[in-house]
This record gives sequence, C-alpha cells and structure tokens, in this order.
Amino acid sequence: MDLHTVWTIARKELRDALHNRWFLLYTLAFIGLSLGLSYLAMSGSGIAGFAGFGRTAASLINLVLLIVPLMALTVGAQSLAGEQERKTMAYLLAQPITRLEVYVGKYLGLTMSLFASLVLGFGISGLVLAIDGSGASDPWSYLILVGLAFALCLVMLSVGFLVSALTRRAGVAVGIGLFLWLAFVFLGDLGMMGTAVAMRMPINGLFWLSLANPLQVFKMAAILNINATLDVLGPAGIFAMQEYGSKLPLIFIGVLVIWAVLPGVAAFVRFDTSNDF
Amino acid sequence: MFRPNFAAILPPSLVAVTLCVLLTRSAHGVAARADAPAFDLQAMIAQAAPGDVIAVPPGTYAAPLLIDKSVTLEGNGAAILQGDGSGNVVHITAPGVTLRGFALRGTGLSLDREDAAVRVSAADVTVEDNQIDDALFGIYYENAPRGVIRGNTVVGMDLLESRRGDGLKLFYSADTLVEGNTLQETRDAIVWYSPGTIVRGNVMEHGRYGLHFMSTDNHIIENNVLRGNSVGIYLMYGSNYTVRNNLLADNRGPSGYGLGLKETNRATIEGNRFVNDRVGVYSDSSPLRPDAVVTFRNNLFAFNEIALVLLPNVRHNVYTENVFLENGEQLSIAGGGELAQNEWALDGRGNYWSDYHGFDGDGDAIGDMPYVSQSLYEDMAARHPELRLFQLSPAADAIDLAAKAFPIFAPRPLLEDPHPLTRPPALPPVSGMAPPPVALNLVVALLLLAAATVVLTLGLRSFMPRDTPSTLRTSIN
Repeated sequence: MDLHTVWTIARKELRDALHNRWFLLYTLAFIGLSLGLSYLAMSGSGIAGFAGFGRTAASLINLVLLIVPLMALTVGAQSLAGEQERKTMAYLLAQPITRLEVYVGKYLGLTMSLFASLVLGFGISGLVLAIDGSGASDPWSYLILVGLAFALCLVMLSVGFLVSALTRRAGVAVGIGLFLWLAFVFLGDLGMMGTAVAMRMPINGLFWLSLANPLQVFKMAAILNINATLDVLGPAGIFAMQEYGSKLPLIFIGVLVIWAVLPGVAAFVRFDTSNDF
Repeated sequence: MFRPNFAAILPPSLVAVTLCVLLTRSAHGVAARADAPAFDLQAMIAQAAPGDVIAVPPGTYAAPLLIDKSVTLEGNGAAILQGDGSGNVVHITAPGVTLRGFALRGTGLSLDREDAAVRVSAADVTVEDNQIDDALFGIYYENAPRGVIRGNTVVGMDLLESRRGDGLKLFYSADTLVEGNTLQETRDAIVWYSPGTIVRGNVMEHGRYGLHFMSTDNHIIENNVLRGNSVGIYLMYGSNYTVRNNLLADNRGPSGYGLGLKETNRATIEGNRFVNDRVGVYSDSSPLRPDAVVTFRNNLFAFNEIALVLLPNVRHNVYTENVFLENGEQLSIAGGGELAQNEWALDGRGNYWSDYHGFDGDGDAIGDMPYVSQSLYEDMAARHPELRLFQLSPAADAIDLAAKAFPIFAPRPLLEDPHPLTRPPALPPVSGMAPPPVALNLVVALLLLAAATVVLTLGLRSFMPRDTPSTLRTSIN
C-alpha cells in the first residue's frame, strides 16, 4: 500500500465531500443546533447564576445521536456506490493502484471530512459556552465527548461503507442507509423497550442487549464521561456501575471499536472481491 | 500512659520556653514549671479545678484522654491528641467542658463500640475548632444536651461507605448548636432524638447522608453546603423543620437525593438550591397529617436528572415561587399512579418551569395557561424503571412526540400548576458553586476550531503534488 497514493485519494475525497451539498447541509444543521443548545444553556445559567454543564452535555449527546449517524451513514453509503454509478470507479481502478489504496484513501478522506464538521460544531458551541462561563467544569471531559462522537462517526461510516459495497446504485445505498439510521436511532430502542416490558427482561440482560446498538454504547460512554456515573439510566445503569465499575469505559470503547472495524473490513472484502466494481 | 512526647519533636530551647507558659489556672493562678517531669495532660486535668483553662502546648499527646472535670482545654491548633486505635480519642464526661483547637486522630475501628474522636456524655459541652482526621466516628454527643459543636473539621477513614462511622452523631442531645463544621468522607451526620438542634453553615461532602434527622423535632437547618453525598439531607419521622438557603449539589448514586423526606410533618423548605442531583427532592408520606403541611418556597431546582420524586402517598404539599430549571424530568411519581391534594400555587403564585410553553397576555408575569407536566416516556419510566436505560435517546423523545401527536396515548398529567410564573422569581444569592475554568474551556474550543481549520484547508487548497502519476492526475481532475 503506497501511503502517498492513499493520501492523494483521501484529499480528493475530502475535497469532494466539502463540495457535497448533503454534507454541507448536515454540517450546518449540526452547528446550528449545537449553537441553539448552547444558547439554551446560557439562558439557564443566567437564571441560576451558574452553569449546569451536565444538562447541556445531555442535550449535546441527544443531538449527536440524531445527526452524526445520519451524516456518516449517508456519506458512507454514497461513497463506493456513487462512484460506481458515475462510472468513475472503473476509471480509478484502471490506474496502477490497488483496491486497498482506493478503499483506505476514500475512508480516510471521508473520516477527515466528518471530523472537520464535528469539531467545527463542538468547537463553536464550546467557544460560546466558554465565553459565557457556562462551559464544562472539566474541559478534558468535553474533549472526550468529542472523541466519543468521532468514534460513533467511524462506526456509522463503516456501516455506511458496507451498505455502499453491497449495492450498485447510490440511491439504493442512501435509502438503505436512511433505513438503518431509523433502525439504530428509533426502531431498535423502541423494540428493546417493548421487549423489556413485555418479557420482563432482567436488567443485566437488558444492559447487555443494549450494547448491541452502538448508539446506546456511545450514549452510555458519554454519560459516564460527563457524570462519572450511570445513575441517570436507572436500575440498569446502577447495575452496570456496581457490576463492572471501572471496566465500563473499556467495554464501551471495545464495542465501538468492534463496530467500526468489522463492517469496515467486511466492506473492503466485498469491494475487493466483487465483480461489480 | 498519658506521657507526652512533644519533647521529642521540638528543639530543647523551644520546649523550655513553651513550658513556661504552659498552664493558666484561672482560680489558682498556678503555671506549670519548666522543670515539671513531663506534661501529663491527664494528670493536669486531675489537678485542675472546675472552671480552669488549661493551655496545652504544642506537641503530640498520647490518648485516650478522659475529661471528667469541667475545664477548658486550649490546643491553639498545635496540640495533637493521638489515639492508640483502641477506642475513643477523647471522652468528655463532665458538663461545661470546652475542647478547642486540637488535632485528633487514631480512633478505634469498632462500629459496635462506635469509636469516636470526641465522645461527649455530659451537658453544655463545647467542641470547637478541632481538626479530626482519619476518624471512624468524628464527634459523638450521647445524652449531652445544649452542646456547641463549632468550626471543626472531620475527615473520615478511607473505607467503604457502609464500613465508615458517622462524622457527627447526636443521640438524645437536645438543643445542640452545630455550626461552621466541615465533614468529609464520613458516613452520616446524624441527629437522633435531639430536638431543638440548629444546624447552620456546615459543609458536608462525600458522605452517605450529609445530614440525617431521625425521630426528632423542631429544627432549623440553614446555609449548609451538602455536596457529593448519596443524600444531602434526609428528614425522617419528625416535625417542625425549617430548611433554608442550603446548597444541595451533586448528590448522586442509587439513592442520590438532595433532600429526602419520610413521614415528615410541618416542614418549610425555602431558598435552597438543588443542583445537579440525581433527584432534587424525594418524598414519602410527608406529611402524615393533613394539617401538617410541607411547603416548598423559592427553591431552585436546576440541572437535576429529576427535580421531584414523590410517592403517590404524598399529599398536602405546597409549592410556590420555586424555579424548576432544565431538569431532565420535573416530576416523577415513584411506581406510577397519581398525586392528589397538593397545591402547585399559593395565593395565585405558582412556580417557574423552564419547559412552560404558555403565554402571558396581561403582562402580570403569570402565565395565562396552566403548566401541565405530562410525558408518556416519563410515565412509562416511572412504572418500569428499567426503561430509564433509554434516557436521553431519541427514541424516548419519539415516544413523547407520538403522545403529543396522538392524544390517545397521552398519559394523565402528573401535575398542573394553575398560575405558572413566566419570569423566574429572585433567588437567594449563590455561593459555594465553583465557576467552570473559562480559560481552559476557551483553549479546548479553540483547539477544536484549529483542528477544523486544518482539515478544511487541506480539503479546499489545491493539492496535486508533482509526483502524482499523471494518469491518476487526470482521473482526479
């Protein structure tokens, strides 16, 4: 694998992304909404006389859960299938470069673009909060929150790539991506809630089942980072704290890494072996 | 047994000088002489007459020490009473004793014996300005009414909460004044059968129950800071409480209440700040009698996961001019069910709710539509607590949205404030909350923006390096 080639493709991908209207729309929405949340936090601290960063962070977590998967899934889903549809993929692969280089380059480029939009949103709202004096009491935890959101980004990008590698047409890929978004964000949780109530699931089972959804994993990791406890999450959170305590961050990060690596590798295997490309 | 060994830690000249001013006997005017064999604290107490003031020179004194005479012991912050780890460090059995300015350490480890740094079993005893470290129990008044406990610092042992002792325990010790003390890493500060006790201006941090009142009446609890405990203040089985201007912050964990009420009659909860607690106020069967109203006035409930958790048996509570600001939930009824006979407004003044969406047409700062707290997800979570696992996820919001769109799903309202305030009422001044580090937060934000700028420049700048294969160039451009 020639890193130079990878880098070239990555920068080209980054440039394409920055000219992609969907991507710009998501970025602007993310920035706008996080600014809105910061404004709410500021009016709250105006009444109370001090900041409650925990609640601001909770809203930010909620926002990340909505927008980041949407952004990463659609961008990822467009990646391979889009070029295939425009026939530029055939042209690219005809060059003296390997498929691995193409794949890693594209993945890296999209990662950079998503990273840029994330840190832009978090940076601007962090700036506003800091100037207002209602920022995090521990700035390190804000950085970790950004890091976790980025990890979620990678997970969803990998899933998006897998969708893209399995479909030929970009429209279909994006459609599947949107359905997956719905499944991850709403349907999965709603189904699990229903199951928990209907089957009287024990809380340890519920906790482990919830680890199957990377969004839940991100959420729990982010809450643990901000609050240093999961007591917000009721009995299941308290169970997890008492049972796994200091191992929880490792569990969460482990699950996120698995979710980022497996679909990513599967997507490459498909891309590498498929005759569609 | 009580041989002091301060000589070992002080240079000889200093010892000589100090010994000259060792002792002031108010009644007899006798001072310890430099050639005294050794400064035996226990012997000094034995020799002293009631009412004497004994100035104890700097140094470390072996304890346990028994104060069985009505004297004043002055440690001036430099005398250390070192227990042998077998029981109490100081035991005061005479009325009217004052113990002031000592450092105490080395209590025993027995929870059964309740080994304490200072144990008091007599009336009118003052324990003041002492520094108590590594204590199982800190200060323990048993059958010791009218005491004064002021300006002490108690730091508990590094043990599991359940293995620790109480930083402060009052047992059958009525009319005690507890003022300006700091308790850290202990179990509880507990007031038991000690009516009329006033607790004012203390700091209780990182314990189990910051303040715990059991079966005791007529208390004023004001200007305390209760932070990082499991429960800030717990009132159980008592009447006539005034709880005002306290800060109850960061009380979290499985119980995690700012203030807990259990079978509490006639309480006025006023001007307190409940901030970032898991639950601001938890209430069970309070009040027991219909006429013994519990009133919440002008408190701030901000940034808690849940501001109020009430059991369905809570009635005759009055809430007026409180500020409910940015809580995860404003009210949860434990176990589901309905609340009844509580007043959410008094004399036409309700509370300020940050999630109120009504309007104020006549400009009197009181909303023209009632505030209604109603959430399908919260309703479900109250009945099935395990569903709190989905707190903060968009699915939980979706359930509420569905309930709004299709009212058939909407649960019964938890509460209805008929006269919600549209402007937050003035709150007592804020102290004890540390502001966030502005400069560091700025640095972090600017770092993030710098990272964004770098990536954006990378993407927007023309980047074709010279040695890119020409074929690839064409494919890209």
